[in-house]
Amino acid sequence: MATSEQTIKASAQPSRWRNAWEKISIIFESKIALVGLVIVLFWVLVAIFAPLLTPYSPTEQDYTAQNQGPSGAHPLGTDSLGRDIWSRLIYGARVVLVVLPVSESFWLPGGTALWGVFLGLLIGSTLGLLGGYVGGWVDEVVMRLLDAMMAFPVILLYMIIIAAFGASATNVVLAIAIVGIPGIARLVRSLTLDIRTRDYIRAAETRGESVWYIMFVEILPNARGPIIIDAMLRVGYAIFAMGTLGFLGLGLPPPSPDWGSMVAKGRQFILSGSPWAALWPSIAIASLVVGLNLFADGLSEESLRYQ
Amino acid sequence: MTTHRMQSPVLKLEDVAISYETRYGDIEAVRSVSFEVPRATTFGIVGESGCGKSTVAFGIVDFLGANGKIVGGSIKFQGRELVGRSQAELRKLRGDQISMVYQDPMQALNPSVRIGEQLAEVLTVHRGISKDEAWQKSIDMLQRVYMPDAANVMGRYPHQISGGQQQRVVIAMALLNNPALLIMDEPTTALDVTVEAAVLDLIEDLKRDFETAIVYITHNLGVVARVCNYVGVMYAGEMVETAAIEDVYGKPQHPYTQGLMRCVPKLGTTKESSRLYPIRGRVPAPKDRPKGACIFAPRCDYVTDKCQNERPLLREIRPKHSARCFYSEQIDAGTWQPPKGLVPELASEVEQERQEPILQIKGLKTYYEQESKSMLSLVGMGEKQYVKAVDGISLQVPPGKTLGVVGESGCGKSTLAKTIIGLETPSNGSAEFLGFDIAQGVSERDQQLIQELQMVFQNPDSTMNPSYSVGHQISRPLQRFKTVPSNQVREEVIRLLHAVRLDGSYYDRLPRQLSGGEKQRVGIARAFASRPDLVLCDEPVSALDVSVQAAVLNLLLEIQREHGTTMLFIAHDLSVVRFFSDYVAVMYLGHIVEMGPAEAIYAPPYHPYTEALLSAVPIPDPTVAQKHIRLEGTVPSAMHPPSGCTFHTRCPRRAMLPDGGKICETQEPPWRYNTEEHRIYCHIPLEELREMEPVVTTG
Amino acid sequence: MFVKDYMTRHPVMIDPTMSIVEAQGIMSETRVRHLPVVEGGKRLVGLITRERMRIPPTELASLNVWEITRFLSNLTAKDLMIKGENVITINPGATLEEAATVMVEQRIGCLPVLEEDIVIGIITEIDMLIQLAALLGGGVPGVRATVRMPNKKGEVAKAVSAIAAQGWGIYASGGVFAPKNPDFWDCVIKVRDVPKEKLAEVLSGIEGQELLDVREVS
Repeated sequence: MATSEQTIKASAQPSRWRNAWEKISIIFESKIALVGLVIVLFWVLVAIFAPLLTPYSPTEQDYTAQNQGPSGAHPLGTDSLGRDIWSRLIYGARVVLVVLPVSESFWLPGGTALWGVFLGLLIGSTLGLLGGYVGGWVDEVVMRLLDAMMAFPVILLYMIIIAAFGASATNVVLAIAIVGIPGIARLVRSLTLDIRTRDYIRAAETRGESVWYIMFVEILPNARGPIIIDAMLRVGYAIFAMGTLGFLGLGLPPPSPDWGSMVAKGRQFILSGSPWAALWPSIAIASLVVGLNLFADGLSEESLRYQ
Repeated sequence: MTTHRMQSPVLKLEDVAISYETRYGDIEAVRSVSFEVPRATTFGIVGESGCGKSTVAFGIVDFLGANGKIVGGSIKFQGRELVGRSQAELRKLRGDQISMVYQDPMQALNPSVRIGEQLAEVLTVHRGISKDEAWQKSIDMLQRVYMPDAANVMGRYPHQISGGQQQRVVIAMALLNNPALLIMDEPTTALDVTVEAAVLDLIEDLKRDFETAIVYITHNLGVVARVCNYVGVMYAGEMVETAAIEDVYGKPQHPYTQGLMRCVPKLGTTKESSRLYPIRGRVPAPKDRPKGACIFAPRCDYVTDKCQNERPLLREIRPKHSARCFYSEQIDAGTWQPPKGLVPELASEVEQERQEPILQIKGLKTYYEQESKSMLSLVGMGEKQYVKAVDGISLQVPPGKTLGVVGESGCGKSTLAKTIIGLETPSNGSAEFLGFDIAQGVSERDQQLIQELQMVFQNPDSTMNPSYSVGHQISRPLQRFKTVPSNQVREEVIRLLHAVRLDGSYYDRLPRQLSGGEKQRVGIARAFASRPDLVLCDEPVSALDVSVQAAVLNLLLEIQREHGTTMLFIAHDLSVVRFFSDYVAVMYLGHIVEMGPAEAIYAPPYHPYTEALLSAVPIPDPTVAQKHIRLEGTVPSAMHPPSGCTFHTRCPRRAMLPDGGKICETQEPPWRYNTEEHRIYCHIPLEELREMEPVVTTG
Repeated sequence: MFVKDYMTRHPVMIDPTMSIVEAQGIMSETRVRHLPVVEGGKRLVGLITRERMRIPPTELASLNVWEITRFLSNLTAKDLMIKGENVITINPGATLEEAATVMVEQRIGCLPVLEEDIVIGIITEIDMLIQLAALLGGGVPGVRATVRMPNKKGEVAKAVSAIAAQGWGIYASGGVFAPKNPDFWDCVIKVRDVPKEKLAEVLSGIEGQELLDVREVS
């Protein structure tokens, strides 16, 4: 090998910590993202530490204190069965965000919304990658499949699935996944169509790499930005959907603290002067969804701004 | 007594500084730029990417975007100060007196409005004349820019005309209001060489007739030599030298300019005179530019302590020739010697084990099926249409040599490369590599074969996967092809990094932390990782700055010599291929029109297309005499290539044949063998071809 | 020798709303003495000259110090310019002599060159002077001879053929009526690469013509 005195020394690069900090600091640049993050974190923390934040159990009924407004004993008031609303809210957040009860004895960390979106990501990305990269008749088949799925209004789809399979946490996860697949697949497909024109994909092809390798190792990691932001929005949609399902009576079976069904139950008492049972869960749903939206918006705005 | 009045300059910049607001604070893109543009003069601003030349151009009319601002200095247009004016005032000026032409004509043209209307609108809006009058004037202007069939073009949409014609329309639009100043930002960079030559001719013509002052931005030193009277050289946001054309090329005073002259490809007559010497180091990022030192010091061969501690001013070395250097008078470019290690000491060529050609292609055809839009094709009965990208190519490459394939866009060179490497499947013909058949896609090839045939890509920004580190990406082929045992992979990657002159610390870097030149080196390391016998390079340096091109080309040469690899080098520029190739093939519309040893291509006899290509290449030397052959028309569509000789529609030498070249339309030309290895695909007899004069003669 | 070939294209121009102070700054920065005033895409509406910048003292006499400053700073080009209809202009196809004649008759120093109301250039006294010198071969080394000949047909041809017979080339020439003597014509001929004495010899030998002057110029 020829002696080289001309080896280029890489210029001093910042350390890994600094790189990571730079990435995270994007969040702090955007006020919007920050506000969103605070709201979301609030609910996550509250859900995690639920038992420490309230003396009551969410199912504890107290007939002496029905439909009460906020007071010293019950910070948010009580519902028609005398249950503390605050406790029901924070325990309700658990199932959505923190813990997924798969069966009586087995649970997974993460919450229904998160798991649902994750499952949707898994299947949807695969479909999108296949359609976008392989193209041809595979793409045609995938697109028609997605079209069929998108033909259903979202809520209807949810209702059909829950009605057919029953209302349990896992079924809710499935429903969220199925509803999310078309959107995710389309997004991934369009990202794939763009990425596959790059030279590094050509380079992988000239090495004779398999289709699966190229799809999941070369293409997918480069699509993660928009996918992540989309996923966050979907968590919000999922929560909203679960609220609607609960409202329609298709949510988790009682006495589970389900925000949607809380609203449904509390609806009757609004006009009679006790709006609390309906009000607080509505605000909770709205705030969480808005928080996720703000966070996603702020992030995408920031990453586009200094392009 | 002079025949010209001593008049004040049309444009005068003094000490201009422009900054951009970013997340990290204000970044100074350009500082202390000063120059004057007298009337009826073309002032070229030349420099590499990131030097700030476009920023200066946009700054003159304050097209800097939301986060750019002029933070210092003065810009005077015809005595009027432009800095600090409101957008409304500037808009008025822009319309009447200052016009801009961009690199991409579609930035100025509305794709959904007819050309005639867009042109007429310029006149009706600014001058308030009637639409009919404006229409007629527009036709006149189109004829002035040599637009064939001007009246017809007025009724077409922009996408219906070619890139070169679009640029003519944009130039016509810019000149309609007879501006005093025309700013052109790389107007011909996106055009093919032959089209570019015609547009440059046009610009020179117009300069004479309209007496407009022109500021011409480009990175191409050859183009500057052709159209400009004065040149300003920019480096890292500063103007480092300004002079008349002859002075900048003949006696450059700043070390950077001198370095540039050495690394620009020229159409030299010998291989030695075509040698390229890169400039070591890299351009500092805007935030790393020192305020109290010479900005070129880290890369300068003549640097002293003074240069590191004091910032030189742009001072006049001779009348009308200024440079930003303390030692201009003492530096003599003629005595410069390359510092050790700058260019590779080439190992003598490796003895080849096999003597037969490593790559043999016969009658290769790659056609793309075009989706027909007719109703019949919906039911499968329509006539199939094909884009005949590669239409019968035969060539051989001896082992250990480099074959340069040159042609303009649409000639099929990229398709040829893709077919050889297996990203496309050929429709016909045979191709053999190492004796094995490769007329199939890559998925059908044997793993052993794949690893012997690798590719280096054109675009450094997309050649690496942004999500993985450099080391990871180089080790992938090593792991896949099991070139070395798995516990030695890391070592081998470091060795490869050293081979491409990168430090081992690059292993953990991500592509976005690398410069264009560095990314391209990693791409080369990756291609050579599996120790292939043949490497295809698809325009590997076209997207790089000139000073980096030289380094990468030298690197390829070095690696090739060391390993005895055979190379197929694709380029659109004959001058780049010159010092690099052993053999050259010139392609036009899917055919090879001339092929032979490199020296043979650049001297007569030529194929008429080669002659036209050589005449069109802008040469970075204003004293050189170059023939002025221009091709009429545009490249025909590959779906309906002309009959007989595909070049007959544009051939300037058809008249040399009896009947004005009737035979060219009807029969395919024969191969004329000038020597055993040099062949030309033409009807014109060899004796007449041999009588052609050389295209380039040094004056 | 038409106006369009010798005019200055893209002259410095201003719009009517520009303040006089700024206009004056432009005039001194660009060293021009005449500023066409245009609007609506270089349509001529007026002309500012140095003379127009002189405000008659009677207008100022009635103002006090502060009012003067305000008056001056509020003055725009529109207020002081020669109005469009009154500006003498010329078209690009006119000959230089026509332009010169207009300038003399109207006693003005410059002519905006218009094509359908649009200013495409300007031609001034200085341009005329430059062309006068160029006409007589100024600035180029050679031998310059002045010959007086009768104002008759064929006289100039005689001198020219005498020179041509020697195989010399005429570089420039011009002629006018002899001062105070309309029967005679003074012709200036400039020849290059010829020794002065030889030219003198040839020209003085022409019948009926008198060699008034011969000199070498550089």
